[in-house]
Order: sequence, then C-alpha cells, then structure tokens
Amino acid sequence: MTSQDTTGLTAAEASAELRRTVARLFGRSLHIRTLDTGSCAACEQEIRLLAAPHYDLNRLGFFFTPAPRHADLLMVTGPMVRAFENAARKTYEAMPDPKIVVATGACALGGVYQPDPFTHGGIGGTLPVDVWIPGCPPSPLALLQGLLVAVGRLADKVKDLDFSLNGTPR
Amino acid sequence: MTTVQPSLAGEPGLSELLTGLGRDVARDGRVLTVQVPTAGLEPAVRRIAAHRGARLADVFASDPGEDRTPVTLRLVWGLDGDRGYLITESPVDGERYPSLSEIAPAAFAEECEIYEQFGIRPASGRPLNRVALPPWAGPEWPRLGRAPAEPPEDVHAPHHVGGHAFEFPFGPVRQVAVESLYYGLVTSGEELVDLYLFTWHKHRGVEWRLRGCTPAEALFFVERTEGLGAVGNAWAFAAAVEAALGLEPPPQAMAARAIALELERLYNHAAATAALCQSTGLVIGQAAAEIALERLLRVNAAVFGHRFLFGVVGIGGSRRAPDLAALRRDLPGAYGELRRAADALLTTNSFLDRLEATGVLTEEAARRLALVGPVARATGLAIDTRADHPVPPYGEFPPDVAVQQAGDVLARFRVMLTEAAESVRLIGEIGETGPGAGLAVPADDAAAPPGGTGLGWAESSRGESLAWVALDGAGRITRARLRPAAVRNWRGFDDACRSQNVFTDIPIIEASFWLTVAGTSR
Amino acid sequence: MPLWTLRGLRRGVVTTRYPARPEPSARLLPTPPAFQPDVLTRDLADRLVAVCPSDALARDGDALVFDVGACTACGRCQAEAPEAAASSGEFELAATARAHLIKRIPLGGRPA
Repeated sequence: MTSQDTTGLTAAEASAELRRTVARLFGRSLHIRTLDTGSCAACEQEIRLLAAPHYDLNRLGFFFTPAPRHADLLMVTGPMVRAFENAARKTYEAMPDPKIVVATGACALGGVYQPDPFTHGGIGGTLPVDVWIPGCPPSPLALLQGLLVAVGRLADKVKDLDFSLNGTPR
Repeated sequence: MTTVQPSLAGEPGLSELLTGLGRDVARDGRVLTVQVPTAGLEPAVRRIAAHRGARLADVFASDPGEDRTPVTLRLVWGLDGDRGYLITESPVDGERYPSLSEIAPAAFAEECEIYEQFGIRPASGRPLNRVALPPWAGPEWPRLGRAPAEPPEDVHAPHHVGGHAFEFPFGPVRQVAVESLYYGLVTSGEELVDLYLFTWHKHRGVEWRLRGCTPAEALFFVERTEGLGAVGNAWAFAAAVEAALGLEPPPQAMAARAIALELERLYNHAAATAALCQSTGLVIGQAAAEIALERLLRVNAAVFGHRFLFGVVGIGGSRRAPDLAALRRDLPGAYGELRRAADALLTTNSFLDRLEATGVLTEEAARRLALVGPVARATGLAIDTRADHPVPPYGEFPPDVAVQQAGDVLARFRVMLTEAAESVRLIGEIGETGPGAGLAVPADDAAAPPGGTGLGWAESSRGESLAWVALDGAGRITRARLRPAAVRNWRGFDDACRSQNVFTDIPIIEASFWLTVAGTSR
Repeated sequence: MPLWTLRGLRRGVVTTRYPARPEPSARLLPTPPAFQPDVLTRDLADRLVAVCPSDALARDGDALVFDVGACTACGRCQAEAPEAAASSGEFELAATARAHLIKRIPLGGRPA
C-alpha cells in the first residue's frame, strides 16, 4: 500500500502501524474497482457474484465502483498481457492514495502463463500488490476472505499452513 | 484417413459439389478434406457458398516454417444440410491469394488475422485491419508464420462517418467486473451510428503457445482460453486430437462430456439472464437470476468437482465421472429458480419493452456473417451442431433446435430459455445411460500417423466451437487452431448495435449476445 | 412488483453467514493439494513437478517447493500419485505477502 510514512519505526512497529491505518481507513467501508488484464472471464464471473444474494458483499461494507477516483481497492485479474500494460498503469494511477491492490486468481499470481512476449505471466512486476488471492478461479467465498484480509478484518491464515499431510490434523 | 473418389455413394448432393472441386478428396468420418490449387480457389469458394446449407465456419493458415515453403490456407465449411464438414486446403506461394471476403463476407476478420500472422493477403488489396497484435508489434514479434511486408491498418469505422457523426474509442477498462474490451463508437449524439472492436489488448497468443505441447498439456490452456466456455472449447479440441490420433472415446465418457456441456449451457444462459436484467436496471430480476446462477454453479461443483467444469474433458474421453446422485438431488431446484425468474421476467412489461426491437439482426445478416449459436437461431437460422453434426451421445439424444424469428434481444433471450429447458431434459435422459469417466488411449502397437490432422467441434453455449490440430510424428502439436463461437459472433455485434440503437442499448445487446472477449482475444 | 417481493419473501434468505459462520457449500470447492512427506522420494517429487501444468511445483534438493499462488487445483498431481497428494480442503488462501504462498515440503520418503 502506498503513502504510509513509517520512517523511524522498527519493522514490527511499522507493520502494526500499517495494519491499524488500513483498518481505520478501510475497515468499515471500501470501494472496489476491478481490472481485467487478460483473464479467461471466469474470475470476472465469480467477482460479479460477490454482489449477488448468496454472498452480498455490501453487508460487509464493500462496494463496487466503476470510477477509479472513487475506489480504494483495485482487484486485478489476468496475467498482465503486455499490450494491456498501459491501460493497467493508467487505471492504477487514476486511483487516489491510499489504495490497496489485490492480485486475484492464479493468472495474476504468476500461475498458468509464464512470462513470454505476449504476457508478463502475473501482475507483480507491473503493479505493487498488497494481497494475493489464489484460485482458478477463486470462488466468491475465497474472494470475500481475501477482501477481509486486505482490510485487516481477517487474519492471513495461509502463512501458517504447511500443506503437509503428517497424519495429524492441522 | 482414406482417399476416396469424389462420387460418394448415397450422397448425390455432396458428390455433385465435390466433382471438379479439386484433387484428392480425403475422408475422415464426416470430415472431407480437398486440395484446391490457389488458382481454382475463387470458383471453388463460389460453388461451395452456393451449396445449400453450406456455412463458412473458419478460415486459417499454417506455415511449415521452412523458407520458401508455401503457407497452407484452409477454409472449413459446415455443410449443415449434409451433416458433414468440408476443408479446402490451398498452398499460397508468394504474398497473395484470391479474395475470399468478396464472396464470403464472413471471411474478412480472418483475412485480417491471417495477414498479421502469416504475411499473406487477398488479391483485392482491400485495407486489412489490425486484429491480434498491438500497434507497436514489429517484424520481430512472435507470429505463427512470417511477418507481413507492411503493417496492417489501425481499425477504422467500416462505414462512412459523415454529417454530424464523430467517433471516439471506449475502454478497454469498462464497467465493474466485466472483461476489458476496447471499441470505437461512431455517434451523432445519442444514436449509435457504428461500432467496431479492437481486440489486441487481451490477446494472449494461445495458438502460438500451444506449438510443441502434447495434447494433454495443451488441454489445460485450451480450457483457460475462455473459462466460461471451458467444456465446449475443450471438447472441440479433444475431438480434433482424437480424430488426428484415431481415438474413439468410450460411450460413458461421451455421455459424461455431454452432461458437462449441457450444464455449461445452463449456467451461461442463467448468467446471460442476470446480465440482461442488470443492463435494463431490473435489480430484482438480476438478483433472482443470480440466485439461479449460483445454485447452478454449485451443482457443477457437486457433480463434477469444479464450478466452471474445468478438468472434465480429457484427451480420449472424460477425466471425471459425474456424481449422479448429486445431479438428481440438486439440478431440479437450481433450474426451478431459473424457470421462475424467467417466467416472472416474461410478464414484466417494463423489462420486455427494453428488449423488443433492440439490437435487431436479420437472418440475412446472420447468413452473410456466418453467425452461430443462439444469436443465429434467434434470427430464424435453424443451425445447431448437436443436430447438424451429431457426435455421441447427441445422435441418440438429438435436441429440439430452439428458433425464433425476430432477431432482437427478446428473441435471443427466448432462445436461451428454451435451450435451458432442453438442456435439463437432455441431462435427465443422458444421465440414465450410465455416464462415467474413461480415456481411450492409442493402442501400443498402433503406429501414430505421422503428420496426423483432425477437426473437432462442439455446440458450446455461444454456438459452434471448432478446433483443428496438426500433430507431428511424436504426437506434439505443430499447429493448433482454436475457434470458439465468440470469434464468429462478435462480427454480428457491430451489425446488431447499428440497427437504430442508442448508447444505453449497448449493454443490453452485449448481454443478449453473451459472448466473451477472451473467446476471441486469445 | 408485488410478485417479485412475494417470491423473495417465500424463498427466504440465501445469503451466506460467512465469515461469522462457516459456509457449508465450501466443502464442494476444489482446493490445492497437501503432500505426504513420508512417501515423497526425489523421483516421485520429480514426477509431480513434471505433471503440474501451472509451474506450481519445483524440487529444490530434498524439498518439494509448492507455490500455492500458482496452483489451479486442477488435481493432476493427485491423479498422478494419490498416495503423495490429496486435497487440502483449504480455500481461505489470501496472503499479505507473496512469500506466504511458497511452501517447502521435505522429501522424507525412502527410495525403493
């Protein structure tokens, strides 16, 4: 996330300060702008369902907006097709600070497509990402969890998972 | 593939067409391939185009890659009346080949794409638009063949812009949670005079990437070319590979594929219904359709393990067996939601008023542009790959082809609703035949045909999805051609928008087409 | 309009209670695999790496490196070696750092 001045703090203090800021600014209401950098359209379908009755992201204080000026969070899908880079940067720059970038789906995270002349194979090199949501496509539930993690209302659970079957339940 | 004489016993119409068309008619099931020398291509195209029930399904090229070997131009025709496909192959020596779009206007978009990728162009010298590669793509940009001598033109309005009309580009970043799409609008204010698409901003180079892949590796990318059409496109691709390798999937696997295909059709039509409601501002209808859509996606997850049915189609058959108990338990309720939402919508006049006479496509336009799927069927054109080119199990369980006449948004909506009901019926009947997983593999002692090629097709929710592959002696892909239905039908979008519509009609028309940008920008 | 309202009221609330309560439909979702270190030999790990279409697996010496972010939960690794990989059941995978999604699974299997 941008525009956080953490000079003079230790890393742990800075991290805690950042979390508090995020929760204060975005914890209760957040506007989301979506950005398709070359997806297969399945991620978009799951994102559309966030506003549908089964998930209703509005009840959690999240709202979609078509205006980058009004948005706090940029939800990015697709592997960043190189021909799209300019449009992606302009959309990011049109959003005022502070803002959060969420890389959504395996393509945006670097899976599926490897870097080649057509795509970057992920958005990480083009935009500064704050939260990563895996999935192909990530279900609306996974998207909700990701948004709540982005505003600090849910913890980053995956960092403590080891994806090891050791015979004992995690 | 066996070489047969042009006269085919019992098929007088076809044999008459083929006589004198070219040399070497090869036949692989219901796919005929004929070599047509470039000099004879124009009269050949005229003859085929005049044949009853012939439809230009695709035009593409392949380049063996060695210097001075000719590029092969292929035209794929759906002979819908004769239940077959006809592929003409013509070697193009040098830069020019006979103009196809003068006789078959549907070929124009492909002529542009072929110029960008292979550097060969129609003899007419008509300006060709940029399609897949961005404006800064120079000669060194990766292509399927050789770079063109001169770069293509930037897309311009196909029709004359005069009077008070002006043009401006729109996109590619658009409304919330819709795909990026960049198009040019020509307007005199509110009225839409013209609309043309730029498609290079999402082009991922899938066909370029598939070269050198094994068919199984490629299938992973084919599914993710157009995620909302994963089953249809994967089926067409797998069928093309199976034709090239001489594989016959086991019947229970074909039944499983068909159930997945019909489930895909169902959820797409529900999603289109929701999009139609959203585009007309009927929020409550949108909510009702979205409830149906979510329930249908959960049916997919329960039955096949993935909400969008990724991973079902395999090379040689089906990788997953459907959970029939879950299907019987969950599908009726999910479809019931869609049915109730549709019934309420069809009695909501404020909604119907926005749909009637909006985005009109005539049957003549659908024929001229060789459109497919519900978009074509809504104009009165009764084409459906499941009925016209049946593969198991559709031979035994043919669908009732849903047709409307008006060609407007309402007609497309009605076609989708009728098809949804048909899909539920088909799922029920095919579900009784014991669908399951199963993959046919080449027998150990069978020699893989060197340079095997194959054509595959499936009726995806958007229409006929085609694929063609060429495999080398090791079974790896030398050329994969993917032609989802969106490639054909986006051509009709321009026409539909032009017919006396205003800006606010564009989302409604787009929802009624229910295409994807990914399906064409691949 | 009353038609719609009546229908809606009759159907009741379909909205998930997540995150306040667990969502039952989550068990239908495909999830990334979890690996069994005890059976993973170098050979088996290499087979899994070869079969992954999304480059989510790599072998680094005696560890299988699993990039959860690149995983599409396609199930090919599980189909290749069901004794070595099974669905983790985890769908709450959002990470605040990319490194949180890179997992090292030690190869604890003994070669035959």
